[in-house]
Amino acid sequence: MFQVRVMDSARACNHCLPAQLLVIGLLWLGVLPPAHAQQDRSSPSGGGEQHARRMAQGMELFKREVRPLLNERCLVCHGGAQSLGGFDLSSRESLVNSGKLGASADSSRLLKLIRHEQEPHMPFQQPKLPEQAIDVIARWIELGAPYDKPLIDKPASGPPAEVTAADREFWSFRPLARSEPPAGDESWSRTPIDRFILRKLHQKGLTPNPEADRRTLIRRAFLGVLGLPPDPDEVDAFVRDRSPGAYEKLIDRLLSSKHFGERWARHWIDIARFAESYGFERDYERPYAYHYRDFLIKAFNRDMPYDRFVRWQLAGDELAPDNPLALMATGFLGAGAFPTEITEHEFETVRYDELDDMVNTTGTAMLGLTIGCARCHDHKYDPIPTRDYYRLASVFGHTIRTEIDYDPAPDASRAAMEQWEAEHRELVAARGEYEQRRLTEPFERWLQNLDGLPSEDPWRVLDFTEYQSKEGASLEKLEDGSILASGELPDLDEYTFTADVQARDIRALRVEALTHPSFPRNGPGRSRGRFVMTSLKATARPLADPDAEPVKLKFVSTWTTDPADPDAPPPPAGSGANVADRGWRPGAESAGRDQAAAFTLAEPVGFDGGTRLTIKLNFGKLIQCSLGRTRLSISGKPRPPLLVGSGVPQPVVEGMDVVGREGPSGLSEPQRAALLRFFARSDAGWRQRDRAVQSHLPARPIPTKTKIQITSEGYPIPRHNSNGNGYPHFYKQTHILKRGDVSQKEEPANPGFLGVLMPEGGDAKSWFVAAPRGWERTSFRRASLANWITDVDRGAGVLLARVIVNRLWHYHLGRGIVATPSDFGRQGDPPSHPELLDWLARDLINHGWRLKRLHRLIMTSAVYRQSAAYDAEKAAADVNNVYRWRWTPRRLEAEAMRDSLLTVSGLLDRTMYGPGAMRSDMRRRSVYFFIKRADLVPIMMLFDWPEQLVGIGRRPSTTIAPQALMFLNSPQARRYAEGLARRLDGFQGRRAVQQAYRIAYGRTADPDELEAAEAFLDRQSRSYASEGRPDASTLALTDYCQALLGLSEFLYIR
Amino acid sequence: MLQRCGMGVGMLGLTSLLHEEGLIAAGPAPARALDPLAPRTAHFAPKAKSVIWLFINGGPSHIDTWDHRPALARHHGQELEGFDKFTGFFSREVGALMKSPFRFSPRGQSGKMVSEIFPYLGEHVDRMAFIHSGHSDSNNHSPALFTINSGQMRMGYPCLGSWVTYGLGSESRNLPGFVVMSDPKNRGLPKGSAANWSAGFLPGVYQGTWLRPQGEPIENLKRPAVLNDDRQRAQLDLMARLGGRDLERNPYEAELAARIESFELAYRMQTAAPEALDVDREPPRIQQMYGLHEKNCAHMARQCLMARRLVERGVRFVQIYSGGMENARSWDGHHDIHGNHTQFAGETDQPMAALLTDLEQRGLLDETLVIWGGEFGRLPLSQIGGAKPGRDHNPHCFTTWMAGGGIKGGVSYGESDELGHRAAVDKVSVNDFHATILHLLGLDHERLTYKYNGRQFRLTDVAGRVLHEIIA
Repeated sequence: MFQVRVMDSARACNHCLPAQLLVIGLLWLGVLPPAHAQQDRSSPSGGGEQHARRMAQGMELFKREVRPLLNERCLVCHGGAQSLGGFDLSSRESLVNSGKLGASADSSRLLKLIRHEQEPHMPFQQPKLPEQAIDVIARWIELGAPYDKPLIDKPASGPPAEVTAADREFWSFRPLARSEPPAGDESWSRTPIDRFILRKLHQKGLTPNPEADRRTLIRRAFLGVLGLPPDPDEVDAFVRDRSPGAYEKLIDRLLSSKHFGERWARHWIDIARFAESYGFERDYERPYAYHYRDFLIKAFNRDMPYDRFVRWQLAGDELAPDNPLALMATGFLGAGAFPTEITEHEFETVRYDELDDMVNTTGTAMLGLTIGCARCHDHKYDPIPTRDYYRLASVFGHTIRTEIDYDPAPDASRAAMEQWEAEHRELVAARGEYEQRRLTEPFERWLQNLDGLPSEDPWRVLDFTEYQSKEGASLEKLEDGSILASGELPDLDEYTFTADVQARDIRALRVEALTHPSFPRNGPGRSRGRFVMTSLKATARPLADPDAEPVKLKFVSTWTTDPADPDAPPPPAGSGANVADRGWRPGAESAGRDQAAAFTLAEPVGFDGGTRLTIKLNFGKLIQCSLGRTRLSISGKPRPPLLVGSGVPQPVVEGMDVVGREGPSGLSEPQRAALLRFFARSDAGWRQRDRAVQSHLPARPIPTKTKIQITSEGYPIPRHNSNGNGYPHFYKQTHILKRGDVSQKEEPANPGFLGVLMPEGGDAKSWFVAAPRGWERTSFRRASLANWITDVDRGAGVLLARVIVNRLWHYHLGRGIVATPSDFGRQGDPPSHPELLDWLARDLINHGWRLKRLHRLIMTSAVYRQSAAYDAEKAAADVNNVYRWRWTPRRLEAEAMRDSLLTVSGLLDRTMYGPGAMRSDMRRRSVYFFIKRADLVPIMMLFDWPEQLVGIGRRPSTTIAPQALMFLNSPQARRYAEGLARRLDGFQGRRAVQQAYRIAYGRTADPDELEAAEAFLDRQSRSYASEGRPDASTLALTDYCQALLGLSEFLYIR
Repeated sequence: MLQRCGMGVGMLGLTSLLHEEGLIAAGPAPARALDPLAPRTAHFAPKAKSVIWLFINGGPSHIDTWDHRPALARHHGQELEGFDKFTGFFSREVGALMKSPFRFSPRGQSGKMVSEIFPYLGEHVDRMAFIHSGHSDSNNHSPALFTINSGQMRMGYPCLGSWVTYGLGSESRNLPGFVVMSDPKNRGLPKGSAANWSAGFLPGVYQGTWLRPQGEPIENLKRPAVLNDDRQRAQLDLMARLGGRDLERNPYEAELAARIESFELAYRMQTAAPEALDVDREPPRIQQMYGLHEKNCAHMARQCLMARRLVERGVRFVQIYSGGMENARSWDGHHDIHGNHTQFAGETDQPMAALLTDLEQRGLLDETLVIWGGEFGRLPLSQIGGAKPGRDHNPHCFTTWMAGGGIKGGVSYGESDELGHRAAVDKVSVNDFHATILHLLGLDHERLTYKYNGRQFRLTDVAGRVLHEIIA
């Protein structure tokens, strides 16, 4: 009775349907038809026989009268061509699940609507049904509202939309027009751009403004290109420089500044919805995401061709896997928000949401297309069938966000390692040569006269035949028999060691945790010095019988070298507890020290003919607390003294046994080598050479690996909350989903691209590339996408160029040629200057996709350089300045505003790159704010910082009181003012005011402003002095500076 | 100027919505027209002017509060046949049907059956309209919180308070238009935190102003220690003088005037906001009525009083979250539903009832819509695994009530099934809920739109029905 599954219904249409198309009808949308029809009542309606009879009556009534009625009067709006208000009565299933049917005629909302007892009256805006027809429906509902079959046979999916030739004729999908800059008045124009602009202005009966003055120009250029104001001396020098090309030189200088990349990277961060946390309820941080931001800065500064910029963001890991920058670029795809706390119900939906984020952001950022609208149905406006959406989603089907270690300078690391290895080889060779030359003879003599073990040490250091990390850490055996871990640092791990031993009376086991210079705090734990061994498990089996069931070893007592942990008393006999199950868990103070734990076996172990010991050390408790370097030893005594760093290698002991039994000729090669090494320690000359080898070991270069967050395939996935309940992170096969609903899967979607951006009959396969031979980790689907999206002849390259050209125009001039920079579809604005747009796009493509050339082109134009002077007459003709008759002043974005404040106050810290910070009082440029989705920097939010959930092509620009409160009252505002006041040290009276104007506004004050300043300073000084403050004039000057920095002249690009 | 001035993109949507183009045409700067919070005319005559949403955070159990299900007692201890164990959050802790541990008795003229945990609120049932058939799409706190707040399960969509402020502006010039208060007892923020009062793609000015539970409630409201009022006023006068000259030179740049204006407003806010939040000014009788000095409910009393003072001063939308994060920190009674709901009802009953009484006696209840409700309901089954029986999440059914602001009192709309497992009769979607609230405020949920990323967005997406049945 209760298994009706409620499905995710809001999703069915929550992205795209425009309100106005669907207004009317039954204004209800609750639950979509569930998978199986179901009586929705808690109590059955009477006995079985009676029920059957009523059913038959109802069915008859349906076939005879109800169906024709519904077909004629209701179906067209509710389940036929459309389902207005989400109400669909085409099948019993959908009707029942609408909740509108009701248990009886009396409680039926459907009936109330057609009886016009409730609104909206149905059929909507049409004559009421005849009373007799209403009675028929009422009776049918009383009989349980049965259907013999649905009113219509719905195909699994609607007829697939086909992209037509006409669709490809839409302006943004067309090939680039061969536009030439029109000839005309040359007196105003400076660049080809201007000739396009001027023609349009003339057509509209408008004329452009003359050039702005030089002070305005240099400020405009600085703020636009760098997001920083010019230094007053720079302003003066530029104003004085009357040489031809002075302005062009300025632009070139700005474009080659390292701060250029910081400004333009931030623009792209908006577009790429980049942030450094997961968002949603936990909002876990992504500490290595900042590499993507650094990639952007470097790419813009180096003038990376835009097509490569795009290709690397989509598939840098496939296209240039050895280039760190290309790996960093892939941060783009994985930068979206993601809910880490997911219930089983939500797994698949969440993954499809993630794919949607990638498809959607790729679409808006690179192609200016709202592809995401096609998730639930064919795009309502643009020729993007749902099929194409899922093909694109399938391109990302296996793509995951992950973190990898990478070496930022692999060549240098390799060279250093080669040099070290050469040095080391020499030292080892010297020792070997000494052994050969000086020890061979004494060693043989020693062997001949060997009589028992010349050592009292109770511990035998195991020599492992196999050693493995379960989670892929690299293990390496060192000369002293210890095992060193490196490489992959899994959160949790388990090491398995195997050793074959001859001893027949093993009574105790020792675990040593040893330090090593390759670990933080020297270990012995791998990441923070600390380690926690959750448990130790050991088995033994006869070496001679590989099929024998290994015996589980039980340990009855344990003690450690930790002074804080004295000998644990052995558990009472027969308690059955295996103390090794409790592992070894030293405290945090264990970092940086060699230490050991010993375990006593319940019974001695050891088989005739040898024993295979398998020992597992488990690190399954604290994150990244596995042991860095460890050594295992056995002893024939149950409680031998617990020493650290002692022990005789097991092969030595066994070698001696052999010698004792069979003489030296019976030694195996490893045994002989072990004995030689053992013997050599008694020789001073050898020890000296060995010390040279040992002391050279710590000099072994450790490559400075950096963690970086990338987006790729086939890598391990960083753990998050939902690993525990089995979240798979991705699904092998992407399906087309009906209405975006994961429970309504249709055919599999194979990788492909948008049909409208291919020639008619084009096949996505023609852009496919195969992975190079031997490459298996990734599918190269994204590399194929990169090919298509940058293909200017047959793929999406032309649109790609139009969109980026427009974005640059938008950021420079405040309004794009297309005023909707992320929507080049039918719902977006058409271009105000289509020929200019195409000319710029062609110019970009023809000149190797270099953006700096484009910046220069725009900034040196007369359009860019004109003044902001307002003209009521021109405004009447073009209030929004679409045709660019003037420069439109605009407020600085949050970053440029804050960075300007830091600059003029002399507080700016120009450190580039690396992890960001969240504190509002950080002094680096704002692009280095750590972007935490649930905790966005308040001062930035005040000035319209985006939330970084979806790509934003243009920010709003608000003027609100909390901004004023920031300038008036925030500690930062005061600090900026103090900083500016400090810069006026040494300037007195009027000269201080003038200097403040020069620094803040790049100009000098006029007499009126000077007078206002003097009056104010005088007043504030007296006010402070009256309180007996010795720093009254400094405080007054600070108050003054604070006022200057809150004024529009400081905050606007004019 | 239009596309940049003041609101940038947002103002465009707003102007077309409110037919204000004339105001922003060329001409000397009309500063107030660019104020995104200027009060605006609704689509039609509103019943309510402001909203106080008492957010019962964590998922209050409808069957233990307002939705009396006697059949549940009869089936107590039985298994719920065919139950999908993934309905709640803990699939391995599904127990048998469990009757409410609370006694219900009829209250008010309407005789509404009310749980014993609401002795005070029970007095007001004749002012309330209950919706017993609410349902949501997620069984998980934050998606469900996002849904009830913004209509969408995902982050990034504007919440109801933002839509309302966008549509109507604010009556108060000295206070934020949309204020949010969270748990002040160190139990954290509702899951998803600030995304719950986010303006999403609407301009940031419409996001909820979160009053910090400790320290200064609003950032930057206190002037730097060194400045006294006189010296700060002098600063403002200087700025007005210099800014005024700038404006004289550029009389057509409306933003210049708007910025000067914004400083004056900020100056006034410095005194207006602390005054509005200063509940200690209330007479002892009022403080007592709210329970301001009762240990277990003082925090909610303070917040309810602040809410009243804010709407009195023209604030449009106030949201108060009862409880913080999950489990024992909010109404999320997984383990021990009896203890949990006793505690949280005890924290809220008296202050919330006092709020209704107080609004009524001031003649404010007519124009203030008060909403009581959370993100989902709870299952009629017991959740086992804790020390005491609890209840797990139930997205299929929950109860909400509204009072004042044009609401018909003493009515119940919709029904859950006899066990309170699922909404059964006249199901009410979140879209219906939102459409109804907008309607009460004079806004047509189909016409309140905002163009973003290529399409017109609505709070109610493509659905929503106004529940005329509960409107007076």
